[in-house]
Amino acid sequence: MTYDHDHDNLHDEDLRQAARRVGHAAAERLDLEKTAQAVLARLRAGDSPARSPMHWLAPAWMRAAAVVVLMIGAGILIGRETNGTRSPRTAATIAVAASGELSDFTPGQLQDVMAGLEEPVEITSPVHAGEAGVEDLSEPQLQSLLKAMED
Amino acid sequence: MPPAEPALAPADDAQLIAAWQSGDERAAAELVRRHARAVARFLAGAGAPEADLDDLVQETFIRAFRAVASFRSQCQFRTWLLTIGGNALKDLGRRLARRRVVPLDERLESRDGDPHERAVAGETEARLQRGLTRLPRMQREVFLLRAQQGLEYGEIAVALGTTPGAARVHYHHAVKRLKEWLQ
Repeated sequence: MTYDHDHDNLHDEDLRQAARRVGHAAAERLDLEKTAQAVLARLRAGDSPARSPMHWLAPAWMRAAAVVVLMIGAGILIGRETNGTRSPRTAATIAVAASGELSDFTPGQLQDVMAGLEEPVEITSPVHAGEAGVEDLSEPQLQSLLKAMED
Repeated sequence: MPPAEPALAPADDAQLIAAWQSGDERAAAELVRRHARAVARFLAGAGAPEADLDDLVQETFIRAFRAVASFRSQCQFRTWLLTIGGNALKDLGRRLARRRVVPLDERLESRDGDPHERAVAGETEARLQRGLTRLPRMQREVFLLRAQQGLEYGEIAVALGTTPGAARVHYHHAVKRLKEWLQ
């Protein structure tokens, strides 16, 4: 006990003793082990708070949207390529853009891709930024695009 | 029979805090076992409804463990816990006041409604408990830290963000008013 009695008169002792008894019974009823486990459980829950579904949906939607935009862009370029306005090297570049995966390519294909990236892109008609946006396509356009990509 | 959880070597509070900061949950559990009753006594004396006492004790430790990086051993860990407990109790009082269901003082007076328990506890204790709820918060906490927990004015001052002289004045005001109510 670190209490120092120098500044208190004798009558205060009764008060101090009563103060020590205050809450004693309630404290004795406390289940220490249960309290400790409850604290740990609440700490664990707080360390990894339940996140709202939107938290996980947002990145997933962003990824999906990015893939769709990439595929649409690739589709437009492939469509032009089939019209004979693009070199074989550029076609390889487009294929990379469409697949997004380089590890499946042979060294030769990779060289073609690199060379293709250095070539100026030949565009027969201007492509406006809005043309590549998913949000600007109507539902029938989107369906036909998806069908064309499946073919 | 499942293997028992490895026992934690005896350690002082500082060692346990360091262990908890390193991710040892057993250290946190040991700190709870070591100080929970003192926190409960302080909270009960400061007016915590018994129905909320367990939750308030848990809340006190959770707040402490989450903010343990800010504990710089400026006072004893237990004293720091009691200060946090006082804040948790104050927040509970605000929530109850917002709900306006039952005034805090009435809840406090109704918690010791068991006649047998009251008789055992003694009339002086029951009146003191009621008197404590009527004191200003600073006087109540200084009184409890000094009279119940046995702390020096210097430590009380650090815990409550005041000076030892002011803590002494608060204590004597509290004692004077409690005596008046008890007589």
